[in-house]
Amino acid sequence: MDLEVQEGEFIAIMGPSGSGKSTLLNMIGALDRPTSGEVIVDDIDLQKVKNLDEFRAKKIGFVFQLHNLLPVLTARENVEIPMFELGLPNKERVKKAEELLIQVGLKERLGFVPTKLSGGERQRVAIARALANDPRIILADEPTGTLDSVSGDEVVHIFQRLNSEGRTIILVTHDEEIAKHANRIYHIRDGKILE
Amino acid sequence: MQFPALIFKNLMRRKTRSAFAILGISIGIATIIALGAVTDGLKFSMDQVLKTGKADFLIAEKGAADLTYSRIDEEKIGEIEKVEGVGSAAGVLWAIYTVGDKPFFMAFGVKSQDLPLVGAEITDGVTFTEESEDKILLGKVASKELNRSIGDELSLGENKFQITGIFETGSPIHDSSSMLSLRMLQKMQKKEGQLTMIYVELEEDVDIEGVCQQIEENHPDLVTIKSTAELNKVDKGLVIIDEVSLIVSFLAIIIGGIGVMNTMMMSVYERTREIGVLRAVGWKRRRVLSIVLGESILLCLFAILFGSLMGVLGVKLLMLHLMVRGFLEPMYTWSVFARALLVALLVGLVGGIYPAYRASKLPPSEALRYE
Repeated sequence: MDLEVQEGEFIAIMGPSGSGKSTLLNMIGALDRPTSGEVIVDDIDLQKVKNLDEFRAKKIGFVFQLHNLLPVLTARENVEIPMFELGLPNKERVKKAEELLIQVGLKERLGFVPTKLSGGERQRVAIARALANDPRIILADEPTGTLDSVSGDEVVHIFQRLNSEGRTIILVTHDEEIAKHANRIYHIRDGKILE
Repeated sequence: MQFPALIFKNLMRRKTRSAFAILGISIGIATIIALGAVTDGLKFSMDQVLKTGKADFLIAEKGAADLTYSRIDEEKIGEIEKVEGVGSAAGVLWAIYTVGDKPFFMAFGVKSQDLPLVGAEITDGVTFTEESEDKILLGKVASKELNRSIGDELSLGENKFQITGIFETGSPIHDSSSMLSLRMLQKMQKKEGQLTMIYVELEEDVDIEGVCQQIEENHPDLVTIKSTAELNKVDKGLVIIDEVSLIVSFLAIIIGGIGVMNTMMMSVYERTREIGVLRAVGWKRRRVLSIVLGESILLCLFAILFGSLMGVLGVKLLMLHLMVRGFLEPMYTWSVFARALLVALLVGLVGGIYPAYRASKLPPSEALRYE
């Protein structure tokens, strides 16, 4: 597989289950190390990076299908989570988390725990969390998979906005309608990529 | 949100499980507090026995397993008094009887002229004489506990006595006991010419060490005891209690540690996916380790609060019913709580380190796939 994504692009990756979409995202997001070949992100060869934690903290924002918010924390506290590794003072963390939640339209939901939020709201909290450390690359794995169409559209519009701000968006989806919002669509089948 | 707040919130998500884990550790902590308080109280009481009255030190039989088993020939008093620097010496025979609901009521046989040396001050009534076979003095606490006063009768074994006075020494052991003629107690115990211990008062400005050394050299069958620390020369009871306390602490660490480990392992398994998320957003292994270990230690810090309360209340409750009531006052020294705190922290570390290590070693991509 040979895939090159330019900075500031919005690409969608589609393919059947088990085709290797999530594995590809895990490689780009430095969650897995490749056993062969090379993954270069922002001119950094990930095989040569010793501290992938720091790389993930600063360069990558993840959005998962099942939002994966910490259930005991409020929306604001969930967004603060990635900032702990940057050593920001508490006040700054709180302020930044609130700003990000306001940006995704959750001003009225700052103190709500995930169970008190709708599916679309939870996914927006997850997007705000992905933006916490201001990464240039957003990796989204089926972010609309569990959402109704209205909530799904809201989420995609946020991705479009983030892309217009210059962030690179790599989105894995099964949904053709969602994929259409991307600049390019790639199809993966049996670990092979087709544009 | 501060990092410790995150630790606290994680612990609170399974309140019942955390509460049971805290209860489990608290029982161990309460036992340590209770044993420590009783041991310290006992040491204090023994210290009071040593430091009572005008006596500078006491003498007991060398090799006696317990102070009450010590036997000294009464003639030794004269020999002790001849040692240079010794002002006076008073022989005391110590016996234990069952009185009413008290199975361990103490009786001290002492010559009436020696009462000031052993610290007994008659606060009410009159003392006995050496010849009196039916007169007895009752300690202030014993008088209250037994609800008897001057003129009342008190039986020690087969012998009946009339209470002629009430004394006070300031020592819990003495004040909850009785004092009678040495001669009479020797007769009752069939220990004519024998003593349990000798209280020694020194002349002014005399080197206590030198006198004690001289006595031990002259009488190899005797030991001198100047402080509670030296009490283990004759009283192995305190040593045994100290060792039991140590074993209980060790067991508390093992049992508590297993309990905490179980709780934390379950917690880590349940949160596998969350841990994957934390790692995905850039958390280092060290931070994952510290959050799990922090939860484990916080669990144990709650246990020290609850366990201390349980220990103090438990001892109070037991003291209302136990036969030691009166002559044993439990003492809550800072060292008792410090030991309990140390045990709690060790339990937290022992129980938390493996689950924390497991959590920190979870590969993020695998953890995220965990269902």
